Amino acid sequence: MSILAYNGGAMVAMKGENCVSIAADRRFGIQAQTVATNFQKIFEMGPHLYVGLPGLATDTQTVMEKLRFRKNLYELKENRRISPKVFSAMLSNMLYEKRFGPFFVEPVVAGLDPKTYEPFICNMDLIGCINLPTDFVVGGTASAQLYGMCEALWEPNLGPDDLFETTSQALINAFDRDAISGWGATVYIIEKDKVTIKNLKTRMD
Amino acid sequence: MPPIFSGHPTMLEENDWRNAAHSTGTSIMAAEFAGGVIIGADSRTTTGAYIANRVSDKLTRITDHIYCCRSGSAADTQAIADIVSYHLNFHGMELGEEPLVEVGAAIFRELCYNYRDSLMAGILVAGWDKKKGGQIYSVPIGGMCVRQPVSIGGSGSSYVYGYVDANFKPNMSKDECIQFVTNTLALAMSRDGSSGGVIRLGIITEKGVERRVILGDQLPKFYED
Repeated sequence: MSILAYNGGAMVAMKGENCVSIAADRRFGIQAQTVATNFQKIFEMGPHLYVGLPGLATDTQTVMEKLRFRKNLYELKENRRISPKVFSAMLSNMLYEKRFGPFFVEPVVAGLDPKTYEPFICNMDLIGCINLPTDFVVGGTASAQLYGMCEALWEPNLGPDDLFETTSQALINAFDRDAISGWGATVYIIEKDKVTIKNLKTRMD
Repeated sequence: MPPIFSGHPTMLEENDWRNAAHSTGTSIMAAEFAGGVIIGADSRTTTGAYIANRVSDKLTRITDHIYCCRSGSAADTQAIADIVSYHLNFHGMELGEEPLVEVGAAIFRELCYNYRDSLMAGILVAGWDKKKGGQIYSVPIGGMCVRQPVSIGGSGSSYVYGYVDANFKPNMSKDECIQFVTNTLALAMSRDGSSGGVIRLGIITEKGVERRVILGDQLPKFYED
């Protein structure tokens, strides 16, 4: 089994009309055994900036702490909020620093630019190669299933409520076909004036 | 002798014997009650981590009064069940009577023991006959055969040994036993990644077999939201 599949997990982020969504499952497992159903994989890095870190759970937590440190230092020095684009570049750099002994996470970034509020999503491989699509990004062990669901359900310019529905359905139906993802889900809808966090009721198997 | 470490030392070895149990992705069980036996299974078949079938039927008919619960390789157990069904049907014709559960279990054991190096099969044989009533015979990997009043199998079973030991009582009523089997499998499915879907039940008595399905929203809930 690949080291990126040791803990399992599913993650997705989508662009909408003046909003973005990011969602993940809540399982913490060790191979086939589920240990917890309240494990956080998406972290707030700013009022309109969220990062999801699917992969090895210990690296999820470590990369989050190291990233938060770098982001805080940037914001202190620059005296302004970091933008999603710069944040992604910073994360990419951090991962590539460990090119020959990497962190086993494949991050997903979602947010709105602090000045223009333009929606932004991207994802990366474990050594920091950034991918900038215009529609959706996926991550985790259910990524193949997620690609299928997103390709089928996503359409451009979805409003926040529609984006929530689309994201939730894509995530749930994808991880229901993955034995090591699921056991609950959390969805974040990020808009200019508010962030809505919803915990979904899902199959717990 | 398979190597313990090979390749990158921090990567997990795929064919390592320590991960052998991982492929028996299933939760199955059988329990005796007053009047017969109840068998149950989850409905998940996985290829690696992908759920290939989320509504599979792991309770397979051998005769009208003898069923088996299959865990391990889906191909191996299906092939074995077909062969046993053939032999038992032929034997029944020779005898002129319904074949005995212990005979069915013995045929399973012959196959699972003699071909143990080629097979990955953990089977529970359960049924009713007029000689001994409701019986369960466990034929795990390796091919031993032992009769038990209650038996669990598959990768999900590890999580429910304690629950079964604490909650099984001999001579339960049919409804009590159904609840016991349902609860046990729900707990196993909730913890084991390789188990899930719906719970399939079979109630085997003198009258034959009654099949039931417990769908996702009707499963007993034990987790906290």
